[in-house]
Amino acid sequence: MLNQGRIDLLERMPPLKRVLKARAFQPAMMLLTLAVFTLAILAGLAGTPAGNRNFGIVFVWIVWWALLIAVLVPFFGRLWCTVCPIPAPGEWLQRRAIVQRRPGRLWTRGLRWPRRLKNIWLQNLGFLGVALFSTIILTRPNVSAWVLLSFLLAGVVLSALYRNRVFCRYVCPVGGFIGLYSMLAPVELRVADPDVCVAHKTKDCLTGNEFGYGCPWMTYPGSLQRNAACGLCFECLKTCPKNNIVLNLRAPGGDLLVADERRLDEAYKAFIMLGCALLYSAVLLGPWGWLKAWANMHTLPHWGLYALGFVVLNLAILPGTFGAAVWLARRIARQPQPLRRLIVDYAYALIPLGLAAWIAFTFGFVLVNGSYALAALSDPFGWGWDLFGTASTPWTPLGESVLPFLQVGVLTAGLLFALHTTYKIARQNSAQHRAAFLATLPISGFAVLITLGFLRLYLG
Amino acid sequence: MKQRELLALFALGLILLGLPLAVLGYQYWLRPALSPNRIIDIAARVPEQAGFAPDAIRVAVGETVTLRFASMDVTHGVAIGPGLGVDLGPIDPGQVKEITLSFDHPGIYTYYCTTWCSPDHWRMRGTIQVSDPANPDVVPAAQPDRVIEALIAEGIDIDAAHTPPAEHADISILAFQPSAQRGELVIAGGLDVPAELRDPVWRQSHTPAQALELLTGQNPATSERDRLDAIAYLWTQDTADEALATGKRFYNQNCAACHGQSGGGDGPAAATTAEEPVAFSDPGYMFERRSDVLYAKIRRGGMGTGMPNFGTLFTPEETWALVRYLWTLTFGTPPRTHTG
Repeated sequence: MLNQGRIDLLERMPPLKRVLKARAFQPAMMLLTLAVFTLAILAGLAGTPAGNRNFGIVFVWIVWWALLIAVLVPFFGRLWCTVCPIPAPGEWLQRRAIVQRRPGRLWTRGLRWPRRLKNIWLQNLGFLGVALFSTIILTRPNVSAWVLLSFLLAGVVLSALYRNRVFCRYVCPVGGFIGLYSMLAPVELRVADPDVCVAHKTKDCLTGNEFGYGCPWMTYPGSLQRNAACGLCFECLKTCPKNNIVLNLRAPGGDLLVADERRLDEAYKAFIMLGCALLYSAVLLGPWGWLKAWANMHTLPHWGLYALGFVVLNLAILPGTFGAAVWLARRIARQPQPLRRLIVDYAYALIPLGLAAWIAFTFGFVLVNGSYALAALSDPFGWGWDLFGTASTPWTPLGESVLPFLQVGVLTAGLLFALHTTYKIARQNSAQHRAAFLATLPISGFAVLITLGFLRLYLG
Repeated sequence: MKQRELLALFALGLILLGLPLAVLGYQYWLRPALSPNRIIDIAARVPEQAGFAPDAIRVAVGETVTLRFASMDVTHGVAIGPGLGVDLGPIDPGQVKEITLSFDHPGIYTYYCTTWCSPDHWRMRGTIQVSDPANPDVVPAAQPDRVIEALIAEGIDIDAAHTPPAEHADISILAFQPSAQRGELVIAGGLDVPAELRDPVWRQSHTPAQALELLTGQNPATSERDRLDAIAYLWTQDTADEALATGKRFYNQNCAACHGQSGGGDGPAAATTAEEPVAFSDPGYMFERRSDVLYAKIRRGGMGTGMPNFGTLFTPEETWALVRYLWTLTFGTPPRTHTG
């Protein structure tokens, strides 16, 4: 029943299974991305300070970001985490190996990660922090390089102190939202039969064996119901002696309906992501030059006001307004559940809308600025190189005529997905269709207003 | 498995150490070593952020150097003068443009920004000191400017205030714009032009107001408008198309930000200067100007006015081309039947 309506890709595609089971697969991918990452940091530190000509800015914040938000996350969930280079040095130091399964304990102090931090609050704050300085980080290569380097160092330090991938699971600001939006992906790693896991005494997926390490993400595949905490490292695929791991193709968004795993920290992540998309769109694509100047730290008092507004909008205004909509929904639908629980429940309906907003926002600057990639590829440091003969490629904004249609299409799809999810969550809290429908109305109104806000920013 | 581990370790070493070493080694050691001539990288930033770096270069006579300009912040433009005719055009942020040069005699040249990049744009200059290898420590002396020396000897105050003398305040020239095009027809129609006015050297050292007095004495029955149009023609007829184009280019690159594209004194940077920029399109002002004084002002700069000097950027010939272009802003472009 668990995997009903799903297609096991590993069963359908044996070569894929062989690749994913190979110990060399993940390190090879990580080495590849680590090379690009190193180049990006090097370009940021030693290359031109002009962001549009610096590989570190163009390939991280335009190419990688577009690939991540518009392709990898919506279609493959946490696949980026499979190949991400940031935790690689720390993990390899911990294992004292890159490819092979080295027997013995991990090389780490083995401290316990505090229980109160076993959530994504740190990731929420980290993302807010990065977002607050994003106009600086995204445009100044040296700042961007130091941020990337600090992520790498944080990964190494945390690996030295704690077992496994504490950085990825609880700290990485990017991993936080990838986890949230991976719940929408049409791909999931699960077990074929949970009863097999229950009956299996040695739990090799957690402890590891000669074929692989125990789950670096500290996740027990046997109870996996959502993508959020699975980093798709495929260690469990290597270690499971029961051949019980499956990689399913499924209908997107099923994880949003897993009621017993909804949490306030994830709900807040949904608010923060939506709020940041709204603010980014206003600052970077909106017509308000003064707002951009404030965000760019032209003067500290103005930036202080911007920062205050940024934090208040994300942590108070947006959740507060949404809470008011849920309060109304609870009242008119006479739902007996506590308001806080309902706010958390319904916040998951904002996840599809949030991802759609980020994709629409990303289209807005990637199509316009994507042509910089050709010049940066040939001259990554802005030193007058011309490696592939494309260094003189002029800036050519693309898709101006189709961009509004793309943005409207994506936002509309996200809104419809959000409305559909709202109703499904409402049905989980109301036995009757009528009550669920009534509860859906105020929350849908909120989602529609937010969507109209985005459309106003994108279409003018 | 052991081999794969070693291979992975090797790859990791290549990425973390080999890649940075290869990149930096190529850029800072191998690339200059492979170049047939010395490469000098010059970073261009707005003057508030230090302008050109380096802002002084020493080159030996006969040495071939490649100057590689990279814009680090906003769009700049780079030209090198005087007299080299080097104009690299606009350089966008992050873009790199280069020029290879060789100098055959000692001298001092200036590379300067040609795009209005900041309120302090005009400060964005750097020097190339070309020295004789036999006497590398001898700084080439600037050549005296005979026009400026003559003005000083004549007792002319080059830095005199802009305001026109009161005796010409009511002159009817303010009521209309003299036309060089019409002036040619007036002269062709039989206006008696004194010999001095036909002499380009005389015109360089006299004002249109002085010319008007002579012309009026010779042609008392002619309308004042005809006389003024004739002066407009005479003051703009000396310039060949090519020189006019040079003057226009220099004006647009270096003067228009303050004095305005049409010479109205209303450029985007006009509000930032110590003194209001003069309007070359105002005949009332230009009526009292001598070409040689305009020339001297351009080359020396306007003391205390915010007007930079351009004598280190342009040759005397280029400066004259600029002066002649200024007169076209006042009197309009002359018909192209005459070139001088």
